[in-house]
Amino acid sequence: MRCPPASRPSDTVRRIQNRFNLNERFAAVTGMEYAIVAEDLTRTYKSFVPGSPVKAAVDGISLAVRRGEIYGILGPNGAGKTTTIKMLSTLLTPTSGLAEVLGLNVYDKKNIRTLRKRINVVSGGERGLYYRLSGRQNLEFFAELYGIPKKEQKTRIDELLSLVELTEAADIKVENYSRGMKQRIHIARSLINSPEILFLDEPTIGLDPEISQGIRSLIKKLSDGGTTIILTTHYMFEAEELCDNMIILSHGTIVGKGTVEDIKSTISGVSSMRIVTEKDPSDAAAVMICQKKLDVSTSRLLNEKYLTKIIMNNAEEEFAVIEESFRPYKIISIGVEEPTLEDAYLTLVSEG
Amino acid sequence: MNLRAVKASFKQQAIQFAADPQWIIPSIVSPFLFTMVMLYIYQDVTGPIVLQAVLGGGVLGMWANTLFASSFTISYDRMNGTFESMILSPTKVFDVLIGRSIWNAFIGLVNALLVFFIAELIFQTDITLANPIGFFLTLTLTLMSLASFGMLISTAFVFSRMGRFFSSVAEYPIYMVSGALVPVSALPQGLQYVSFALAPSWGVDAIKYTALEGYGGTMGVSLLTDIAMLAVLSAAVLVMAYYIMNGAESAILSAGSAERY
Repeated sequence: MRCPPASRPSDTVRRIQNRFNLNERFAAVTGMEYAIVAEDLTRTYKSFVPGSPVKAAVDGISLAVRRGEIYGILGPNGAGKTTTIKMLSTLLTPTSGLAEVLGLNVYDKKNIRTLRKRINVVSGGERGLYYRLSGRQNLEFFAELYGIPKKEQKTRIDELLSLVELTEAADIKVENYSRGMKQRIHIARSLINSPEILFLDEPTIGLDPEISQGIRSLIKKLSDGGTTIILTTHYMFEAEELCDNMIILSHGTIVGKGTVEDIKSTISGVSSMRIVTEKDPSDAAAVMICQKKLDVSTSRLLNEKYLTKIIMNNAEEEFAVIEESFRPYKIISIGVEEPTLEDAYLTLVSEG
Repeated sequence: MNLRAVKASFKQQAIQFAADPQWIIPSIVSPFLFTMVMLYIYQDVTGPIVLQAVLGGGVLGMWANTLFASSFTISYDRMNGTFESMILSPTKVFDVLIGRSIWNAFIGLVNALLVFFIAELIFQTDITLANPIGFFLTLTLTLMSLASFGMLISTAFVFSRMGRFFSSVAEYPIYMVSGALVPVSALPQGLQYVSFALAPSWGVDAIKYTALEGYGGTMGVSLLTDIAMLAVLSAAVLVMAYYIMNGAESAILSAGSAERY
């Protein structure tokens, strides 16, 4: 006797089955506890031009972030970094796909307010604060919005002001703060609810090296304390210094994923050549780009010399040719280095 | 309702108000101008009409202040980039707006009283109220109804940064149809129906009942009818604002427009 064919679940049923316990399924497979799991997350925007196709800001990305890790989201402007952060932090509804944050489906309306108590976001730049209120008043206002008990509020606010080194400036209006101070009070605001996950969208953008270093130390300290950090940045050294894992986005899709070493290994065999010349080698660089299809960038140094950086796919074959091409520009120094994260990033993004 | 968020928003609005000199215009300069215009128009008239003119000036001042404050509330957050942080918190935007609207209503009351002081002290107008306690109560209730209208207008700013167009066109029609400038009975029939649907019109009528000796009413049959209609219509507007606000929150999450200004 032939068995009746097993009924195939409809797409809707499968989506509902998938929707639940996404986190548990990942945990079961990997044996790890995840703070964030996303599958095929997509966000499209309608075009303002009638008849034009919809634009995908994020196109089917999947990721899994372990509790307590610093997870980087890298990519050029418009790659979908901020859109991804907004979708994972309940600020933007995805067009399709699934996302679980701290075990809660982000787009189930019942979960949103529960989840918002447990996460927070810092955006880079100067906006996001009440300028006519002092730093302390800003924190007090948000402490009330997060329902922090009155008894705890003062202690917590004092601790946060101390953490971001703004105790002395606490009662000065934010409009009188420097950019670095504003960014630090932003971070303090985002920690008011002791979030389990902190989304940092380019937190060091436009800050001087000293303050940026202070913020990176703070990020490490938070991570050491068990906070899961999602970090977007344009600074490769920052990603290299901080991130345990990362994705690289280009045009809304993932073009690289893993640890810093994993990302670097995607361009194994590729090396980076640095040539310093006395004369401007732009013509030779243009030839390298057009004829050899190499990734070449030239910049003028302060001492009136020129630094050219070339990503080589095959150093043995290409070195001699490149050296020959640059000789007329009076080579001062020439060297080959192992690929950096930036090299890998540039290669992946240009290929993506 | 999250009462702590309401209280915190009230306090925050008060601090903003004290720290920001632009509030001098709607709170001090404009009531002064309204009263002055009204009194110059009616300078050759004596008796209850003068008081009616001052009352009109008071309501105009209250509405201008409420409208400005309600519009400013969310557009300021959008401009500052704090709107996204507010949305991200577990508190409903509606609760924040209630706290701010209560402050705005309080300032509107101060504004209205200022109109009376200006009329009495600067223009030496004789203001004798028929029922001072009733007057104060109906004035406060009318103000609450204006504040609920302000909540509704604020929802436009939650939906979109373009809400300012909506608030701009809301200013003068309310002056006309509320009976603050001219009695409702003097309006065309069609507009009178609009007046009946608006809580502030009943509030203005109730104020006149308590201020003017022997006032017969142009809206309801008695002061109590006016107050009942005022309460019912204000509550209806508040409920409408609540649902629209919740819808607006979902809409901006779909559009990703919380950060736009």
